[in-house]
Amino acid sequence: MEPLTTVRVALIAVFTLLGLFFTFVSMTGVIRLPDVYSRAHTASQADTLGAGFALAAVALTVGLAGSGFKSVLLLFFIFVTNPTAAHAIARAAFEDGNVPWTEGDERR
Amino acid sequence: MGVTPVADGIVVPVERTATLRATVGHAAAEAAEAGADALHFVYLAAWRDDDPHVERLRQDATDLLEQVAVWAEYDLEDANAPDLRIETAILGTDAYLFGPGQYAERLHEYADANELGTVLLDPEYTPVGNTALLQPMEFELSSTGLTVREAPVDRPSRRERIVSELTGLRFGAVFALSLLFYFVLGDPTYPFDFVTGVASAAIVAITLSQVTLDHDPTLETPKRIVRGAVYVPVLLWEILKSNVVVARVILSPSLPIEPTTTRMRVLVGSGLPLTTLANSITLTPGTLTVRASDEDLIVHTLIPWAREGLFEGSLERWTRLIFYGREAARLPTPKERGDCDVLQGPDATADLPFAETDGGERVEDAAESKSEVTDE
Amino acid sequence: MTVADTVVAGGLTVGDFLLYAAAGFVVLALGMTYRAIRGPTMQDRVLAVNVLGTNTVVILALLGAGLGEPTFLDIAIVYALLNFLMAIAISKFTVERGGVL
Repeated sequence: MEPLTTVRVALIAVFTLLGLFFTFVSMTGVIRLPDVYSRAHTASQADTLGAGFALAAVALTVGLAGSGFKSVLLLFFIFVTNPTAAHAIARAAFEDGNVPWTEGDERR
Repeated sequence: MGVTPVADGIVVPVERTATLRATVGHAAAEAAEAGADALHFVYLAAWRDDDPHVERLRQDATDLLEQVAVWAEYDLEDANAPDLRIETAILGTDAYLFGPGQYAERLHEYADANELGTVLLDPEYTPVGNTALLQPMEFELSSTGLTVREAPVDRPSRRERIVSELTGLRFGAVFALSLLFYFVLGDPTYPFDFVTGVASAAIVAITLSQVTLDHDPTLETPKRIVRGAVYVPVLLWEILKSNVVVARVILSPSLPIEPTTTRMRVLVGSGLPLTTLANSITLTPGTLTVRASDEDLIVHTLIPWAREGLFEGSLERWTRLIFYGREAARLPTPKERGDCDVLQGPDATADLPFAETDGGERVEDAAESKSEVTDE
Repeated sequence: MTVADTVVAGGLTVGDFLLYAAAGFVVLALGMTYRAIRGPTMQDRVLAVNVLGTNTVVILALLGAGLGEPTFLDIAIVYALLNFLMAIAISKFTVERGGVL
């Protein structure tokens, strides 16, 4: 195996695992956190980063010359839209009169 | 909803538009014909009395109302109803008005107080300027029991209201962007892709170029793109750093979170700069923009560490750097300016603004409140 | 030979590795389904479905790379666009009840 390919394969492996890890964090957050606002945190952030790493791994695998560019495009798109969507959802919750959870409240 | 007004006075919200003169003429004619007992012209202010530079705006509004009153008197004399009462007023200077709902509400209150039963709208009336407010406002007014009519005057141009002006530059920018997107996905050297790409980019540019951009791209645009490109790695690093912190919090068995809602007044312009900032805040873990109404951001923070970082305002400085250049980026942090409030928990310095979220006023003491957080 | 066919260790190629990762993402997606079903508020569900959608995009991309099917990436792009529209539309609609979008 050429050294360059080794580095590439290693990066693919690392990025995929990081993607899995942050998506796992996101899932844990979405399940564990007490209210819709805190869940939106992980849903928008950990998940975006997880998806970002996984898509970077895909881009490395496919190669930038071919369809890998689409993967980068997808990555960029997710980075722009995910926080926007989370903001829209949190705003909807806020305008519905959903009071953010604070210490001592009951878990919802 | 109050008592439905019975008197048939007419109220006309005014704003400098191309059709204002014709609308005033129509209102006067209609009032004279229906034998109405009062004709009111009101100016709904988008500013507040204690804003800076408010004198100029107020003077402008007063001038406009005087002008309108003169026109109306002249028209009423023409229509043989010279003794019909004309009154003018400036409304909504005690608070910023945001949605069409708030405009409609102020108008309704005024109509009720003066026993006016009919609202006559200038078809070009758009109080906030670039937003399409008329149709939603008509919709809001229709539920108040007032009679709402649009003055049947000719518009100078037949454009749609949400649509901005069409210029070659805007058309070209949208065309180029969509063509580029198509070619990235397809293959420009393959004739079929090339032809379909040009065709669909043309369709997109024809249908959407008036909606997508509301002002021409200028020389500033490429500069912003370059500065934005510098910002991306910085933002990525911030995201990565704080994601690790938040991941540790979420994965630890005791779940040591202290969620709190905060309010921060930021110094960036509306539109793209505010969107960039709000999205950056949301992307940085531990902080989530819940609401953005003009310069006020309501931010939900998950852990105190993220809250401190937010109040340091580095993202705000970066946004100003991208959009306004390096000089503009030097400014005190929101904490030093006293532009942040904690809205929940033991450190709370203001109330949760639920009242204002559905069309009410902003919490009055929010601006003046001195807090432990802001005093530090 | 493409990168996807490179053997990493013990006969496992990069493509296989990505497929296993995709399987991992499917398992995580199942965890998120809990929130989509449980709720309790409408926004919780929209949020969970949005996260699931992002997950689906990632799974599609990983499958595309792992199986050597670059067209999957196009589907992923369309899915990402629809996912965003879904979140925006539903949150708009739940607040304004079909008012002005």
